[in-house]
Amino acid sequence: MKKRAVIISTVVIFGFFIVLLRMVDIMLVNHDRFMAKAQFQQVRKKAVPVKRGIIYDRKGRELAINLDTESIFCDPSEIVSPERAAAVLSRTMNAEPRAYLAKLAGEGRFNWLERKQSPDLGSRINNLKLRGIGTITEPKRSYPKGRLASQILGFVDIDNNGIEGIERQYNKYLEAQPEHVKVHRDARGNMLSDGMMKELKGSNIILTIDEGLQYILEKNLHEAMQHWKAASATAIIMSPATGEILAMSSMPDYDPNDPSGSKPEHRRSRSLTDIYEPGSTFKIIAGVAALEEKVFSPSAKFDCSSGSIELGDKKIKDAHKHGVLSFKEVIQKSSNVGTIKIALKLGKDKMYDYIKMFGFGEKTGIDMAGEVSGILRPLSRWSGLSIGSISIGQEVGVTPLQVLRAYAAIANGGYLITPHVISEIRTPEGGLLHKTVPQAERIISESTAETFKNILKTVTEEGGTALEAAVDGNSVAGKTGTAQIIDPRTKRYSREKYVSSFVGFVPADKPRLAMIVVIHEPKGKIYGGAVAGPVFRKTSNEALSYLSVPRDDMQEKGLLLISTTDKR
Amino acid sequence: MLKIDRRLIKNFDWVTFGLILAITLIGIATIYSATRLPVEGMDGSQPDFYLKQMLWLCISIIALFAVVMIDYVWFYRLAYIFYAIGLILLIAVLIAGKSSLGAQRWLNLGFIAFQPSEFFRLAFIMAFSSYLVNKNLYERIPLSCVFVFGIIPLFLIILQPDLGTGILLISLFVILSVMRGLSRKIITLAVIVSLISIPFLGHIFWENMKDYQKNRLIAFADPEVDPSGIGYHINQSKVAIGSGSFIGKGYLKGTQGPLRFLPEKHTDFIFSVFSEEWGFLGSMALFSLYIVLFLRGLDTAKKAKDEFGKLVATGIVSMFFIYFLVNTGMTLGIMPVVGVPLPFMSYGGTALLSNFVAAGVLINIRTRRFELFY
Repeated sequence: MKKRAVIISTVVIFGFFIVLLRMVDIMLVNHDRFMAKAQFQQVRKKAVPVKRGIIYDRKGRELAINLDTESIFCDPSEIVSPERAAAVLSRTMNAEPRAYLAKLAGEGRFNWLERKQSPDLGSRINNLKLRGIGTITEPKRSYPKGRLASQILGFVDIDNNGIEGIERQYNKYLEAQPEHVKVHRDARGNMLSDGMMKELKGSNIILTIDEGLQYILEKNLHEAMQHWKAASATAIIMSPATGEILAMSSMPDYDPNDPSGSKPEHRRSRSLTDIYEPGSTFKIIAGVAALEEKVFSPSAKFDCSSGSIELGDKKIKDAHKHGVLSFKEVIQKSSNVGTIKIALKLGKDKMYDYIKMFGFGEKTGIDMAGEVSGILRPLSRWSGLSIGSISIGQEVGVTPLQVLRAYAAIANGGYLITPHVISEIRTPEGGLLHKTVPQAERIISESTAETFKNILKTVTEEGGTALEAAVDGNSVAGKTGTAQIIDPRTKRYSREKYVSSFVGFVPADKPRLAMIVVIHEPKGKIYGGAVAGPVFRKTSNEALSYLSVPRDDMQEKGLLLISTTDKR
Repeated sequence: MLKIDRRLIKNFDWVTFGLILAITLIGIATIYSATRLPVEGMDGSQPDFYLKQMLWLCISIIALFAVVMIDYVWFYRLAYIFYAIGLILLIAVLIAGKSSLGAQRWLNLGFIAFQPSEFFRLAFIMAFSSYLVNKNLYERIPLSCVFVFGIIPLFLIILQPDLGTGILLISLFVILSVMRGLSRKIITLAVIVSLISIPFLGHIFWENMKDYQKNRLIAFADPEVDPSGIGYHINQSKVAIGSGSFIGKGYLKGTQGPLRFLPEKHTDFIFSVFSEEWGFLGSMALFSLYIVLFLRGLDTAKKAKDEFGKLVATGIVSMFFIYFLVNTGMTLGIMPVVGVPLPFMSYGGTALLSNFVAAGVLINIRTRRFELFY
């Protein structure tokens, strides 16, 4: 009996010994291997959700934001029956099962099924509780104002990389640097976090654009496009003193929320990427130069009665015969003959210097990508004809932005300013990363600018070329332009295709807004005053009342009340 | 029948009682850790297994003292009746049982569900012991004995099927027979017969097993066959124990259980959770508690005043030991996964109650070791 008890005790101790040996093996000898296994299966790197910076207008209104969307993915290794999963999914998503089958049956452990769907759809997919199919919250770029300022803003691809516009050029500021954190993962593949995961955000950009002005400009530009059945139209509103672009648009435009299928030229800011011949709007260069260089006084007289002038073997005509015109009237009535006479007296060296001084032939330096410098041939390559052609805005290629900047120099008393659309770049916490400081360089004297401003004011008055551009209650200083388009096939000026433009600033004496409107290939009428003038007028009227700018005729019409309430 | 004696209090086996209480409390703490949420502040709430186990501990302690107060001579007298009830319950579970994981082990009594095998194993120990007391098996084992205490219960268990209890019954049959004194001749014969019959019996067992049980045996033979499938339990358990290292990760710092890599983390694999958090040192401490418990039980068997007490005590200690060995062996990957709980540690109310009642019998035998038959 005792012996048997010993046997049983021996068995007990032997059993313990075996277990003990195994524990030493697993816990002490091979500890590292099992520890590594545990780490490998329990810890996952997880990307911290990153949100792009927000793009605001000058008054803090959101132009580009992020929406939370749900992206649906699958892990093919966990899917038992791809056919059944595809059938269930396609029913929920209203899509062909074939669309998902390849991804569900594929190799690897991660495939996207649908990106950036509504949270509602995401929760419906999750409610299906399909094995191997899950959702991830991804921020999606959204442009709540639709087409508004779309060419300035640009857009992003599915992975939130900037593709066009500000989104592209300032991508490195807008995007947040992705980070990874280590999180626990459970056996069912769930990522487990304590909910304290920080959210990474990109820097915010504040534009100089004013949403209200942008809306007004786009609305009127769109109407003009339709009215004139034009090929395209471009317009800019700028603050003449600082160079801040307040609104800028080209038609046709596109919807940045759905850029697919839109033409590349509709996505560009054509105001700075496309050139045209400025025509008569360019005449101010010769005029300003002549005044500044004191070649002529404003009261000088020019005989334009022949209605044409011969330059070499070419004859340049006026649109109407004018007779004897004063210096002022040459500009007001946009006489080609008068302008060429001024330019010839000025000489081509001075002419060239002033063109360069006004910033033509080089980039304005605006803080947007894709700007072109335009075409200005060097003096050595000018023909005998060139000085005449160039003075009336032919033989040169300019961007609407360059022309507007030249007019802003007259509006602001003689300074060439650098246009810009970025006002500030701020970190998500509000720290200032960048602030654009307005840059201005004096190019002409204040008195010349003042004198020329008064000449430009007569353009929209009786006897001028742009009565249509006259603004209610405020004086306008501006200039029309009508240029023929060179037919790319014949290399000669087309008889049907014109570029009609108007550029100017309001209120003329205390300029708040400088604006250029360029309409390409209008049908029906061709003259800048008739085609672009009304767009300028309507836009100015609405813009000035939107900005609550007091009217020049306030006092005489007894409208003082408006301004006093305004000032409050 | 009930007689509160001063000697009963004086001779009460506080050591055994203290050991099982300590192990159970450690078990509850481990159950709490195993079922806690993996990340603080996460949604959802912790399942209240640890609270339920506390409640069952209270019930079990009351039951233990009730068992201690009854003179174990009554168990001797009623052993066959217990055994008959046990067999009836085993038949009942086959007819009306609730199945879980493909095996029919649970009997639902409306207010409580329990496994008849938990009651049966105790009844078996008592009945077989009381049979052996009056029989001399030295020369031969009667066929009726083999049938009543071997083939019939084993057959009913295999039908469920319940691998763990099956192993336990065979082991107890052998141990108690050996204890009672089989001749060397019969032991040798039995070893030879069983060695020959293992393939046949194994075949019958194999045919009766559910797929998951077959998989477990395959996985035991080679856990790397399919790490995410059948070998999964074993691998994950080894990962848990292995990452415990020498001093462990610390209480409530284990991850294998809460992250749900470890299946059955609060029941069959509670030892894996414990050793992940307490390491080799903690596991040795826990083992010490068990070793003392077993040696104390064997000592009780040695000191028991009668043959019945000796046999019952040996049976109960053997039962604890077999469960302990199979369970820890299973978590360490040196035994097949047969679904055996670790006595006093694993979550499970009726199992805890049954183990406390068994321990109560053990204490009963030790407490009355000086008493004579009244």
